[in-house]
Amino acid sequence: MSDVAATDVQILITRIFDAPREEVFRAWTVPDEIAAWFGPEHFDTKDVRIDLRVGGRYELTMVQRDNGAEFPVGYEIVELVEPELLVLRSDPMPEAGMHEPTITRVELHDHGSKTRMTLSDGPYPAGRRHAEAGWNAAFDKLTARVGG
Amino acid sequence: VHCRDLEIGLRHQRAVLADREADRGVREAERVPELAEPLPISLPAVSRHLKVLEQAGLIARSREAQWRPARMQADPLDDAVAWMQSRKATWKGRMDRLDAHLRRKGARR
Repeated sequence: MSDVAATDVQILITRIFDAPREEVFRAWTVPDEIAAWFGPEHFDTKDVRIDLRVGGRYELTMVQRDNGAEFPVGYEIVELVEPELLVLRSDPMPEAGMHEPTITRVELHDHGSKTRMTLSDGPYPAGRRHAEAGWNAAFDKLTARVGG
Repeated sequence: VHCRDLEIGLRHQRAVLADREADRGVREAERVPELAEPLPISLPAVSRHLKVLEQAGLIARSREAQWRPARMQADPLDDAVAWMQSRKATWKGRMDRLDAHLRRKGARR
């Protein structure tokens, strides 16, 4: 689909963490560590299962704290270079309006004794209401699902 | 289309609506500096964002060389921006917690 790049959106985030790359990489790939931060806000994370290899699964369940609602999410690891690169492809969630997989790409770069992380996440369809009736509802569901 | 494109698009849409309300004709050459003014970006960068938005069908260029929203009443940009902001907020929250997690571990080392 040639117009994907022009019509879909990508989240880009750059952060510097006061920890070496190995530590940040562990935080992304060791279940107990992921559970400590993945959240999101007002969510706990449980049942983190990671088969740390290219082609392996990366799964976890987010639990909404106030009502216990569970939101399992799953990814496939598509690229893996320890301790500098992790690329995850999400399982499509058609019930949330996400019919295509999205790619979360995490790059870790040395930044003195710290680590500069760049994260991209997408593509997410946007701005095409005429072609995507009901996107708002889908977005609401997805937002509830991911706790945005 | 990236977040910054959508920001520009939303600002552009609001500016066009305000000008239409005030019955002002504003040419593209005047619009671009107006859109760039509060942001740390150059005029050519604004033009590039507008071209991305045009390719995505969110705005159109008229014969009078003016940009206008392609679907003024459908506010796809508002939806897209709001939704992207919520996604981005989710990731930023995660990164804050990841930062706190790494600091806790660093303090224990």
